[in-house]
Amino acid sequence: MDHTIEISGLTKDYGDSRGLFDVDLTVEPGQVFGLVGINGSGKSTMIRHLMGFLHPQSGRCSIQGMDCWRRAAELKRSIGYVPGEIAFPDVKTGFDFFNLQAGYFGKRDQSRLHDLIDRFRLDASAPLKRMSKGMKQKTAIVAAFMTTAPILILDEGTTGLDPLMQKVFTDLVREEKANGRTMFMSSHMFDELEASCDRVAFLKRGRVIEVVDMSQFNGDEPVKEYKIEFNQPQDYLAFLSRPFSVSRRQEHLNQVSVQVADLAVADLFAALADLDVRFITQVPRTLARHFIQKYYETEGHPHV
Amino acid sequence: MFSAALMRQTIRENAALWTVLTAVQCLMIATIGWTAPIAAAGVAYYNMLPGIFAGIYAITIGNRLICAKVDRGTLAYVLSTPVGRRAVVGVQTSFFIGSLAAMYALTAAVHSVAAVLSSYGADASQVQAIVKLNLGLFLLALAFSGICFAASCWFNLSKHTIAIGGGLVCAFLLFPIIAMFGNNFAFLRHLTIVTLYDVSDIMAGAAGWGWPLAALAAIAAAAYAAGAVVFLRKDLPL
Repeated sequence: MDHTIEISGLTKDYGDSRGLFDVDLTVEPGQVFGLVGINGSGKSTMIRHLMGFLHPQSGRCSIQGMDCWRRAAELKRSIGYVPGEIAFPDVKTGFDFFNLQAGYFGKRDQSRLHDLIDRFRLDASAPLKRMSKGMKQKTAIVAAFMTTAPILILDEGTTGLDPLMQKVFTDLVREEKANGRTMFMSSHMFDELEASCDRVAFLKRGRVIEVVDMSQFNGDEPVKEYKIEFNQPQDYLAFLSRPFSVSRRQEHLNQVSVQVADLAVADLFAALADLDVRFITQVPRTLARHFIQKYYETEGHPHV
Repeated sequence: MFSAALMRQTIRENAALWTVLTAVQCLMIATIGWTAPIAAAGVAYYNMLPGIFAGIYAITIGNRLICAKVDRGTLAYVLSTPVGRRAVVGVQTSFFIGSLAAMYALTAAVHSVAAVLSSYGADASQVQAIVKLNLGLFLLALAFSGICFAASCWFNLSKHTIAIGGGLVCAFLLFPIIAMFGNNFAFLRHLTIVTLYDVSDIMAGAAGWGWPLAALAAIAAAAYAAGAVVFLRKDLPL
């Protein structure tokens, strides 16, 4: 009941291992939750269940304790949404669209609208039909964030945005998180959610393979990976004889990668002191690398 | 349960076709009503044309109200607001029925006024016949609209809605015409709901003339209800 979003035992079998299978997930209030997976892994199917477009075959999903299917209309007072495939209604301009959506919500207060339009440098007076993919995406994002809904659900929300706008988007997500809004967003780009999420679930063939805490990534991880290259082969070999956890070796380059806990980092430097080191660098543990590795592991052939 | 914003948007989207079809029918019926009494030219008109107009309107609007929004994905933007499926069905049904009622109320009024002001000066019984004919037409169009609405709720692709809903309505309209080609085809008259709208019986005020019309209303009610039930329960590929 305390979870903002709760998915339990959710199954929707479309055959050929497509759909969702026994998915359990929870999102806490104020959390930014990411859903990552390759195309066809079931991300949109999960979001369509949250939106009440699809009926679960078994299991259930609820938002703020309310069933997503049975109380779909009521729940929408609390949800801002960016659809995976944006199809605007039959109105002329971006402004007409924003007015229409505000009308459905029964609200006329659009104070946030102009701020969002400015941030995304959106020309909302342009005809919707002539908008580029990026413009349409920005329009959809503005429509979702202009509501005061405490929960935002974004299906591939940043597709088609240029790097500058991605940054604007990430900043906006951080701000809204600070305002206490809960966000649930999906992406097929493994690293896209890195900057904004607290937790990320990795979906493969309709099953949640892993849920990671983002504090374990991007330099905060307690065990770090270091890549070291030596000038001389004998130093390379000498280093390999030391008791470090080696994750990768490239003999032709005299290069080695080791996993070292922060607490043991002094041992590493002591070992390197009398060796001829060409360079040492830390390899950040990225979500993309982690998930790619995880993906191949679950396929049965590890890949680095 | 009801959304004024959605109703406004639906009217905006569909006003053009309603206006054109209503205007053309009013123009024709005004001309006919002005030149000849109902018993002369009116029968031929009511037998032939309005059914086709009703068919065009029902097929086009029926598809647009639900299925086209699912097919194109625009319904996602309605359902992502507090306007739920019940409100969508309620608003679209009200629009469909209301727009048909307005269309035939207008044609009945235009025909009556033209007939009363004409040189032959229609009397009260003739005006009554005009009103009855338009009431019958409304119910025939309502049955068509119900069939198309049910198809629109059932299918997710416009091409299927038009093929099945539209196909059925077209077949109903064509059967009485094909039946005229000879005795071998006469049975087709029994396979269409169009013959429930019997112009000569209504004109003559024959005993029990209202029953076939009640049947049309029942078909419409059943079709709308079936469509609504399906739409409220089905998965939407949005």
